[in-house]
Amino acid sequence: MALVIRAVRGRRHPRPSLPRAVLAVSVAALLASTVAACGNGASSSGSGSSSSGMKDGFVQAPQSSGTLTVWVDSTRVPAAQAYQKAHPNTKLNIVTYDGDANGSNTLQTKVDLYDRTGSGWPDVVFSAENNEISWAVNAGFTAPLNEGLIPSSTLSNFAAGALDPCTVNGKVYCLRNDLAMVVLWYNAPLMKQWGYQVPMTWPQYQQLGLEVAKQHPGYLVGNAGDTFTPEIYMWASQCQANDITGLRAVTVNVTSPSCTRMASLLDTLIKAGSMSKLSVFSTAFDKKEKGKVLMLPGPAWFGGAVFDTSSGLNTPKGQIAVAPGPQWPGSATPSTGNVGGGLWLLSAHSRHLAEAVDFLTWVTGNNAYQDDLAPGYPAYAPAASAWLANQAKSGYYAGDIAPVLQQAAGQVWPGWGYGQFSQEAIWASTIDPGLTAGKTITSMLSAWQSAITEHAQADGYQVSP
Amino acid sequence: MNLAAPVRPAGTRATRALRRVRAVRAGHVFVAGYVMLLAAFGIVPTAYGIYFAFTNSANYFAGLSNFTAAARDFRYLPAVGHVALYLLIWLVALVLFVTGLALVLHQLPARRTGRLVRFLYYIPGALAGAASVMVWLFMLDPTVSPAAPFLRLLGYGTFGQVIEPGHLAILFAMIAFWTGAGGWIVVMYGALNNIPLDVIEAARIDGAGGWQTARRIQIPMLRKWIAYMVILAFAAGTQLFVEPQLISEASLGVAGRDYSLNQLSYDFAFQNNNVNYAAAISVELLVVSLVVAAVFVTRSRFFDAD
Amino acid sequence: MPTDTTAPTVTRVAPPGAGRSRPRRRRRPARAAGQILPGLLLIVFLVFFVLPVIWLLLAATKTDAQLVQDNPLSFGSWHALRQNWDALTSFQGDAILLWLRNSALYAFLALAITLVAGIPAGYALAMTEFRGRRVLLVATLVVMLMPTTTLVVPLFLEINAVHLIGSLWSVVLPYAFYPFGVYLTYIYFSTALPRDLLAAARIDGCTEFGAFRRIALPLAAPIIALVGFFSFVANWTNYFLPYVMLPDSNQYPVQVGLGLLLTDVPQFNPTAGTAAVLRPELALATLVAISPVLIVFLFAQRFLISGLLAGATKE
Repeated sequence: MALVIRAVRGRRHPRPSLPRAVLAVSVAALLASTVAACGNGASSSGSGSSSSGMKDGFVQAPQSSGTLTVWVDSTRVPAAQAYQKAHPNTKLNIVTYDGDANGSNTLQTKVDLYDRTGSGWPDVVFSAENNEISWAVNAGFTAPLNEGLIPSSTLSNFAAGALDPCTVNGKVYCLRNDLAMVVLWYNAPLMKQWGYQVPMTWPQYQQLGLEVAKQHPGYLVGNAGDTFTPEIYMWASQCQANDITGLRAVTVNVTSPSCTRMASLLDTLIKAGSMSKLSVFSTAFDKKEKGKVLMLPGPAWFGGAVFDTSSGLNTPKGQIAVAPGPQWPGSATPSTGNVGGGLWLLSAHSRHLAEAVDFLTWVTGNNAYQDDLAPGYPAYAPAASAWLANQAKSGYYAGDIAPVLQQAAGQVWPGWGYGQFSQEAIWASTIDPGLTAGKTITSMLSAWQSAITEHAQADGYQVSP
Repeated sequence: MNLAAPVRPAGTRATRALRRVRAVRAGHVFVAGYVMLLAAFGIVPTAYGIYFAFTNSANYFAGLSNFTAAARDFRYLPAVGHVALYLLIWLVALVLFVTGLALVLHQLPARRTGRLVRFLYYIPGALAGAASVMVWLFMLDPTVSPAAPFLRLLGYGTFGQVIEPGHLAILFAMIAFWTGAGGWIVVMYGALNNIPLDVIEAARIDGAGGWQTARRIQIPMLRKWIAYMVILAFAAGTQLFVEPQLISEASLGVAGRDYSLNQLSYDFAFQNNNVNYAAAISVELLVVSLVVAAVFVTRSRFFDAD
Repeated sequence: MPTDTTAPTVTRVAPPGAGRSRPRRRRRPARAAGQILPGLLLIVFLVFFVLPVIWLLLAATKTDAQLVQDNPLSFGSWHALRQNWDALTSFQGDAILLWLRNSALYAFLALAITLVAGIPAGYALAMTEFRGRRVLLVATLVVMLMPTTTLVVPLFLEINAVHLIGSLWSVVLPYAFYPFGVYLTYIYFSTALPRDLLAAARIDGCTEFGAFRRIALPLAAPIIALVGFFSFVANWTNYFLPYVMLPDSNQYPVQVGLGLLLTDVPQFNPTAGTAAVLRPELALATLVAISPVLIVFLFAQRFLISGLLAGATKE
């Protein structure tokens, strides 16, 4: 057996009395408060102490020439590269990020961190989400564009209502990249073959849907399973589910007739079977509905994203045509919905405003990018006509889609705004599970109302019925 | 190390004391590097986080107001329920199956098979987070899933039916187990290898079968490891985030959004720019995890140098 | 019987009469059942763990249409695999390879620091008594249990205070802090290394460093491999920290890169347009992203399971 010596825990050499734990904690607290001081100090100095003072409607950072930092998503990288090619003397730093798509909230997260440290903001940012202004104005991130930076002649060239997501109290805080107005896509040869007329009103649409369900079961006239379903149908119906009346104010009233009429239409067609409950991007939809889509109300980008793609319905050439979205009889002005678009924001902290503005106006309005490379209907009207001409050249569509799209571009109903809370996410988590479980939309309307109210209030909105 | 040599006197008291001081000093030196990292990336951010929880955005002391305000959010109570249910399923499944599988693997006769199986069990662990969004989108969709026969057997025809609200706790526990179990099985297996062979031999000679050896010898000797696993799994469970987030991405928001407390904390921090509410929730989760950890630490005498 | 330990088997002579004389025959049915049940368990879980991975492997060989229409476990074609690979590498000019390189750089750098700092720390916590030992253990545990959501802002501010935002150290240094590894080392040394061994070494005149270097370190191969491996994987699969700290997509590790690819899949982001990443491409990217982890695992497995000290002490 080995002799094991027990170590004697003697206090032979007394140590200083401050316990180690207390020491550690106080050091940590000291460090923490130092970091806090650094953080707060920087952010407070960043917002107010510039030498230029108020110019063009906001306090500008000291200007200098230098590298322009531009954040774009992968789809807009060609835009930035085209600009660089056309302007070899401008130094451009192209940074790819996720474009804030899919509710990732990257831009807000990063801007918040940069605000705390007082540096690091990009000069120009593209965002795929249309509701950036709802937080960016309060955070002081975006610069107003219509107070001297961009001439009103340029701004007025944007389609009517295109700059609505950018406008707060008359100030325009961003430029719209593309429009996504809702139109009625339909299969022209099939409609002709079955002798149907393209519906001009929603009651006609409903009637058609019921007939199709009876005579050609399995074919679809619409789809109610997407997260953007409310933006296609409810928005077009002028439903007051998202009436943003101020930076932090919204009116929500989904039990009014303008909402219930659409809810009941959807319910009727879902029950009849000519409206699907699947998402148009789900694999089940692809498998089941290939070749079975007679009509589909949807945004302008449905053409390329749903029909003319092998990872979608892959509809052959010459079949898909466009008609104006149906209207409710008795409505004074035609109205349609909108699903998406994109925004270009200019940072108020930018030190290269002149170059940034040049970039902004070029990338939204220049034909070389928007017409040849851009996937969506440009919000800048002159660029849009050239884009439409390009689309016609492809020969994919049956008939000319240009007049319908151009007309719809100006008909987006302004009563549906862009709040910080995501209407798509609310519909997805509130209505979609109910639809799957077999409930009707009409029965879920009050749940939808409460959900919108709760989410809006959690984001600091005043909700009025 | 020749312990059969004649025993030398241990040295004078001074020598032993000097050895003591040297041991303590060496201890300090050994941990110095780690302590620096701990202070910089552990203690300071944690202290700062706790500071946030008790102050408001103007840096004034706010007492418990952040906690009460966060608790009044309409998503808070449902999230607590979700996390509680998830924890139950997750912990039971983890402890049972990880220990069980590690024991079974340990008794495999062929070394190669054991290695291969451990490797295969581990592979999903590499598919953490963003990488597995698409995997689960397809696995849970009866129209395209390789497990479609199983899903249809349960009566689900569409993706929407699989991700029904009532199924979510089990779904998330399953996904978390899929990614996490492999690593813990490796750890447990290694721990089993540390049990002295003669002890196992003796048991076998005494006629104990596999199950009895496991129950009477191996599991008690795995006490510390199992405690460690439970502590960490409990904390990870309360901090449920990745699984509902990835199902939320896969389903475009239909399921899994604002499901857990940690997701709510994240929303507060990055959507509402309200670090204080977020920190309040984090501190609550921390306290709960610490309480459970304390229980396990004291019961398994975790901090004793065995 | 595990045969992959390095411990020599100790033969023990059973004292006469101590062994129970049970007739062996009676135990056979129980033993057979005892072998089928565990085997079944292993196989069921094998399918559970491996089926999605097999699906992923096969998905990379298909076209997008095949992914939806064909049998989930069917093989696509080599041609489709080739096309997916070409499409993947053309995404922002070989971005995937750059991301892999970044991941490897961050993970290995951090791993080196973790081992250098963590193994001695775990050893000291287990084997030496020094003031503050328990405080350190408790502090480590508390910090490990703190949800990381709230740690992001303080961490960002800290890193910014030393002007490291955007450099690789903003990611590597936080990675290098790996308390889980220190705890694993602590448990390992406290259960596997008997104190009398070290006491004997101290009596023999070894300094603490000498004891660590000559006794503990050679026996620490399994725990170094274990901690190294887990640290590597944790660093490789970390998403949120690099997402927050690194502004430029050229610096992204592959995990964040995958997130970027995901937002360009038309099914998740319909306006992806020309930059669309098809689902089989994403599957291929995922496989590429996880393969280094699996390779490291295979390599480390040899060390991960070797067992105890070679009979250095007797009971």
